[in-house]
Amino acid sequence: MSTFHGFPELPGPNDTAFCKINEVYCCGNARYGNITTFTNSTKSHPVINVSRDVHHHRTTDENISMYIEVEDNLLKKITSVLYKQGILEALSVAADPNVNKDNPIIALTASYVLKVANIFTAFRYFLQPHLKDIGPKIVSNYSRARNWGNAPVKCMAWHPHTTKIAVATSDDNVRIYCSEVAFVSTLKCKAQGHVSSLSWRPFSASEIAVGCEQGILIWTVDPNSMFTKPSSSNAVLLKRSGHSPVTDVSWSPNGDLLISCCGADTSMLIWDVAMETAVPLRRVAGGGIVFARWSFDASKVFAATSSIIFRIWDTKCWKPERWCAQGCRVVTACWGPKDLLLFAAKGEPMVYALTNTGLMSGTQTSKAVPVLDVTKVELPSGDLVGGPILDMCWDPTGKYLALMFEESHLIAVFCTTHLMLQLKITPCCFVCGIENEIPTTMAFQQNFNDGACLTIAWTSGRVQHFPIVYADKF
Amino acid sequence: MEAKSEIFSQRLIVAVLWNIGLQTLLAILLISIIQVDLIHPISWITAAFSEIFGWKMGLNIVLLGLVSFFQAYIYGNYFMIPLPKYFTRFSIFLNIFSLQNVTFSILYALSGYFTMSLYSSLAKNNFNTLKKKCDYYDGQCLIEQSLFLQFGGMWIGLYYFLNSHVFRPTIPLFSHVYQDKLQQIKLAISNILSTGFKNSAMPVAYYCIFYILWGNKPRAVVSDVYSLYLEDPPLDNILNLCRSGIWIGLWFYTSLFFVSVYTMKTVFNIVLTEPMKFPIESDISLTLHNALAQKSQFNGYLAAQDLRIMSMSDSARRLQIFTLSLPGGHPRNWSNLLEKCLDIIKDFTKEIEYLNGDGKPVDIDTTGQRNFMSFSPKSTLYTNNLRNMAQSPQLLELKDHNKNMVDNTFATTVKEECSTMLHKLCQKPGINYFFGELTDTKLKYLLTQSQPVMWTCEGLAFVVAASLREDKYGVVQNDLPKIMTNLINLKQNLDKLTKPGLIPRKHVLSDAIAIKLRNALISTVKRCIYKIVLTFSKYIHEIPLDPDIQIAIQPFLLCKEA
Repeated sequence: MSTFHGFPELPGPNDTAFCKINEVYCCGNARYGNITTFTNSTKSHPVINVSRDVHHHRTTDENISMYIEVEDNLLKKITSVLYKQGILEALSVAADPNVNKDNPIIALTASYVLKVANIFTAFRYFLQPHLKDIGPKIVSNYSRARNWGNAPVKCMAWHPHTTKIAVATSDDNVRIYCSEVAFVSTLKCKAQGHVSSLSWRPFSASEIAVGCEQGILIWTVDPNSMFTKPSSSNAVLLKRSGHSPVTDVSWSPNGDLLISCCGADTSMLIWDVAMETAVPLRRVAGGGIVFARWSFDASKVFAATSSIIFRIWDTKCWKPERWCAQGCRVVTACWGPKDLLLFAAKGEPMVYALTNTGLMSGTQTSKAVPVLDVTKVELPSGDLVGGPILDMCWDPTGKYLALMFEESHLIAVFCTTHLMLQLKITPCCFVCGIENEIPTTMAFQQNFNDGACLTIAWTSGRVQHFPIVYADKF
Repeated sequence: MEAKSEIFSQRLIVAVLWNIGLQTLLAILLISIIQVDLIHPISWITAAFSEIFGWKMGLNIVLLGLVSFFQAYIYGNYFMIPLPKYFTRFSIFLNIFSLQNVTFSILYALSGYFTMSLYSSLAKNNFNTLKKKCDYYDGQCLIEQSLFLQFGGMWIGLYYFLNSHVFRPTIPLFSHVYQDKLQQIKLAISNILSTGFKNSAMPVAYYCIFYILWGNKPRAVVSDVYSLYLEDPPLDNILNLCRSGIWIGLWFYTSLFFVSVYTMKTVFNIVLTEPMKFPIESDISLTLHNALAQKSQFNGYLAAQDLRIMSMSDSARRLQIFTLSLPGGHPRNWSNLLEKCLDIIKDFTKEIEYLNGDGKPVDIDTTGQRNFMSFSPKSTLYTNNLRNMAQSPQLLELKDHNKNMVDNTFATTVKEECSTMLHKLCQKPGINYFFGELTDTKLKYLLTQSQPVMWTCEGLAFVVAASLREDKYGVVQNDLPKIMTNLINLKQNLDKLTKPGLIPRKHVLSDAIAIKLRNALISTVKRCIYKIVLTFSKYIHEIPLDPDIQIAIQPFLLCKEA
């Protein structure tokens, strides 16, 4: 029997799901319905629709075609490419017979130099295959956001203590929406390109770490300030050679250390942000570190590499325990209460749990067990759900688990109960978009008192808050 | 140096052993690289082995041991003194010529000389001796290259000492993540090698210039003393120097010297800063609170670091803090610890307050007394039927009056006049340059000692936060107002440091590290307050706090404090 058997039926073609309140799945008309008819728990939440806010174009390479081409002279072309993209690209421009028509000598020399350079790069890639992709390509490969390069919302992060959310949009600005104030602060500076991840510093109201191509930007945004565009003097760029592009940043739950990962760097950096110093953690094998997750009590760190290897670091003595996934690299992982870890490998419809079984058997062994099989099925309504997992979120209380799939436009939410060292996963509900919307990324609110609130960014640029309210008295 | 702790000396010895091991490894590596012979690998290996187990190597290891013991002694002397406490240019200048510095510079020069001759003897060239038999004359001739190298060695030792100890005093660096020792060394090696080779370029260039200009003088002296001839082209000529290629040798040996001292420094730092576990209660060994009491000493650092680690990750020892003493039922462990922590925080606050007030003496108990004055008459004094005359509010006022009375005698007037005169004299441009107080030195001096304060604050905050769940007897909650008051006081005083108009210009920081330390301190203190306030947010109104403090924590409760 499929895992998706016990789910409530999807809403009709013109309807959409708004929330779930005490086991009642509340749906309403997509256009006229309003969540406030069901619950007031998200009444003061910020209303976010990114597509209306993004006016200007991105400065990425994709929209260069939008501009009318101006014919520059060769030297200018080469220097501009050299300045923007580096020496290899400049050489290839110089060697390109379509661009460089008048100067065959330069073209010939450039092509030979390029050939020599290619031998070296080929050798380098032979030694370090994970370096093959450069820049945004790495981020887009490893990002848990669907279609990271073109999605209106690249990533989101809820503040751990207040109703405040940071949203990175496709124009690489970070917008901060807050429940109390109407205006939106937009964080933007020159170094902030190809934003991959966001993380609010715990026990601080102002600091947010932004992982981007050059490194990590630490913004200090005064919550009392009325500026909608804080100047870039409020940001500190932390970078290190070889540690670019940053694919993930995450603060320790104690708020003292920041981990940054880079898909092209085999070491994971642990930053003392105020002193701007980093300690690299490195072990042989595994390739670049893609992302890291802190356990709730900051005693362990999960680090996924770009290969099948992943590690669980013990933060007391900073020693890792090495694990291997079965088929492919770990695409997403989340910690729950009592140091329980759930993870999913790329291209696999299976959620694994890593539990410490030491208490039961008396030995300190832990093992990974498959806990949830989400093989793709067709629902009675004709929608497809399941398949390879793209992203997974666990709410801070460890009661709800949300799954996003690579080949489905539905988000499946499961109830999880942890009883007697056994994890029990039961169906809860689906969340679907309006019309042809596909979920891009999602996050659970960290300080939601009435249950759990899942925030989903859709491809249309709409950001939906989906509260799952339960009262304990029921 | 006399009162150095036992832990410190033990660690120094461990560090020396590690250092000797690593330096020997370096020497062995050097030998095997120098004797490389790819065509005859077996003879290469045998030659290398015979060299490694030869008497020369043994002698070198003994020498290395001596050098590294001496370096350990120097390191021990300098490690825990963050920044000399001199606030004018003149005193800094005078300090350069202190007896200690002069001795150390001589010792360092010797150490440079020995290291240089050691490596050059390992490299098997003939630059170890000054004399050779002349080719064209009858008699002894000078090998100027070896003179060049030997003087070079001394200069490098001196240069390193001046550069790293006198002109740029280092502050103890405790890493925020402590990995395995071997792992740390592995990570550091590439950095040590590259910086060693890079940093050695400048002193070699200086030395070459120096030798070209004045090299004939030492040469004349040496050849006079040993009555030697000079038959090779003299090296104080730029062309001859370049052609002889000896500068490459000097650069190589200098790099090796730098690599060796950097290795030493790294090893010492790694061994000395290793976190240590102090017991909470013990009759034999040093307990956590006793170690904390040794504030700015090495033990104080270790204890503060341990407090932080313990509060975050060691639940067993936390439980020990929350227990009551068995006969009596007093929270002895906790109150001992709290007292020491608050002492550290209070002392630091006082110093900052002193700076903020620009040198005006601060009344130590201002806050405490004020609170007492404003509170005690209303709330506690007359709640019982018994009236305590000793605590009557009038009496307090009387005491206060007595204390603030100033005796206007002739002597004080003269003293004041003198000090103003002196102050005016110091304002004169030339005198001010040498004798005026430098702008940020005092604050910098204070901030370089702030690391244990940060750890103490963090440790305290996390212990307090953990107490909500783990403290069965409510040992900690009793002292919550005291802790909050002290943290908020510290925070308010630190805030003043960043407000441009509020601090005197001479405490505006210009040093990058000091600015970072200040920001780290402010951020840490705020995080600690957040930690406590957010943990106790549900019960915050039940904690008996002063109205001032209650107002101060409001932004923290609302998550509005930047």
